[in-house]
Amino acid sequence: MAVAEVSRLTFRYPGATRPALLDASLRVEPGEVVAVLGPSGSGKSTLLRALAGLVPHFHGGRFEGRVVIAGKDTRRFRPADLAGDVATLFQDPEDQIVFGRVENEVAFGLENVGTPPDQIWPRTHAALAEAGAERLAERRTETLSAGELQRVCLASVLALEPTLLLLDEPTSQLDPQGAEQILDLACELGAAVLVSEQRPALPLERCDRVLFVADGRIEIDATRDEALDRLPPEYLPREPRLLPETPGEGEVLCRLDDVSFAYEWQPVLESASVTLRRGEVVALTGPNGVGKTTLAKIAAGLLEPSSGSVETGGRCCYLSQDPGRYLVKDRVEDEAALAAGGDKDRARAALAGVGLAGFEDRHPRDVSSGERERLALASVLVADPDVLILDEPTRGVDPPRKAELAAQLRRDAKRRATLVVTHDLVFAGDVADRGVTLNARERAHA
Amino acid sequence: MSPVPAAAILASLSAVALIADRAWVVASIVCALFLLCLKAPRGRRRLYLVGTLGSALSVFLLSPLVSHTGTHVIWEGPKIPVVGYLDVTSEELAAAAIQALRLAAVGLAFAAYALLLDLDRLLQSAGFARRSVLAAGLATRLVPTLERDAAGFVEALRGRGVQVEGARGRARLLSPLLAGSLERALNLAEAMEARGFGRAGRTRAPSPPWTRLDRIALAAAALLVVGAIWL
Repeated sequence: MAVAEVSRLTFRYPGATRPALLDASLRVEPGEVVAVLGPSGSGKSTLLRALAGLVPHFHGGRFEGRVVIAGKDTRRFRPADLAGDVATLFQDPEDQIVFGRVENEVAFGLENVGTPPDQIWPRTHAALAEAGAERLAERRTETLSAGELQRVCLASVLALEPTLLLLDEPTSQLDPQGAEQILDLACELGAAVLVSEQRPALPLERCDRVLFVADGRIEIDATRDEALDRLPPEYLPREPRLLPETPGEGEVLCRLDDVSFAYEWQPVLESASVTLRRGEVVALTGPNGVGKTTLAKIAAGLLEPSSGSVETGGRCCYLSQDPGRYLVKDRVEDEAALAAGGDKDRARAALAGVGLAGFEDRHPRDVSSGERERLALASVLVADPDVLILDEPTRGVDPPRKAELAAQLRRDAKRRATLVVTHDLVFAGDVADRGVTLNARERAHA
Repeated sequence: MSPVPAAAILASLSAVALIADRAWVVASIVCALFLLCLKAPRGRRRLYLVGTLGSALSVFLLSPLVSHTGTHVIWEGPKIPVVGYLDVTSEELAAAAIQALRLAAVGLAFAAYALLLDLDRLLQSAGFARRSVLAAGLATRLVPTLERDAAGFVEALRGRGVQVEGARGRARLLSPLLAGSLERALNLAEAMEARGFGRAGRTRAPSPPWTRLDRIALAAAALLVVGAIWL
């Protein structure tokens, strides 16, 4: 029997003008690993939510067709009733955490599905061990890094021993090594796995089958090898371009010399040095928790280093890795105009530059996640800074848009010094002139 | 110590502070709770301590100006429409001091509860109204989340070269903060439903048994309240 069967599913969110999914059909066999690829807003997340029963029960909307999970029709069974057969790992771990202590968080799902009490703690600790998070069992969830939190969330779904595991961009906040570990763990579970990702190489290396979703339709449903011949070129895996470390020759606009920083006496950055020159794009890479964001914030003047010196020339702007921080105003145009002293003409030009022309009167919270990311970028670019610092600008961004972003940054590179903090090594290779790698307990000099 | 007797001790200290009319008793409770709160990490405790002590100080400073009791005037102020004379008497000061201390004691007890207790285990111990207790636990965690969100908004604005200054500037962030909280709450509700929350037939992970210290603490909490009423 198939683990999941979707028959002619068409779904429209409440108030939406067009369906998020259109006549989608698929069948998932036990143990199958399926990569779900496609542009932002194409319907990938909606498909996963339909498989979890969250569509239509949680979101409402108009639902036609049929979804059956482990023999249960999702029209008759609520998501809570499907929990255990199906488990979902969402993109943002912070939005999934219910409890303050790790082991209680993992035990939560087991309690909900009625696991016998004497099995709850053994299964909790086994799942934590499987997810490589056993040492975190007693920790407070608010003290964990993004990578650690995502491992805890993975342990929470592994503990349920589901037959269908749904992963909705689960590695967007993780470094390449952490992302590979999470996907390897999920794929070795033995359950059927559907994984949606915006770094396609990761699932394509592990999957048996590929779904490509565009405009709500499943355009490709093929084995991995067949799909590699049919996927758009931006989605095909490729090796990142190796970046030189030799600095350029332009005017120095930002110099960090031997800077260190500690949060609450916990050192996160030790003796790092970076120089940014006009005309060059520098990619800052390194594992999670090594201090990349801290270094970027020091360069942007948002943090004072505990030691070392910072020299900056000209206006410096910083793009946070969370686009949700750029939702202060009630209109998209007003949001973009904030950094331009309210200049609406410059705001409109910046919005057009990121493909958001026509969005001026929309509320920033009413746009999709991909559009929010572009709004955040426009909100920073509108200032036309001399030093531009972008922290994980490709988080949750689809491959075609990444290519556009890289082209846009390259186009404006001559005018400024640009620092891009990223885990996406392919994007780093596409956008940067040189690379700086920050490693734990090592000094970065570049 | 288990969280239930610990919470009972904190609740009894709050009750004693509200019942007792001797300033030294309330002041002792405030000092003890303040020292207890200092055990929490600096970053987490700041908001609670500043909020509690700031509120208590406000009560101490403003209360004598709006109350009209006592005969020993130590400062004669102007007459303000509606409020009347802003005289301050020694009796008003003494009353204001004890009210401020009571407020500080209750605030610090809540701070210790939020900062130091294992709220998850407290939830697990609740044999009834688990949904309400879970909601209370999530609401308690909302405070540091809101603080982090507010800091994130300010940082993103500064990153765009926009300074957020003064109470008015910060007040403008209230609306996006509220909208962000609602969005986060929806995401969390979705994740909870996907993990089976609300399904019939849930079970409970076994809690560790109470120790002798836990029983003594619970008895002490009860005795404290009875003692405060009796004295």
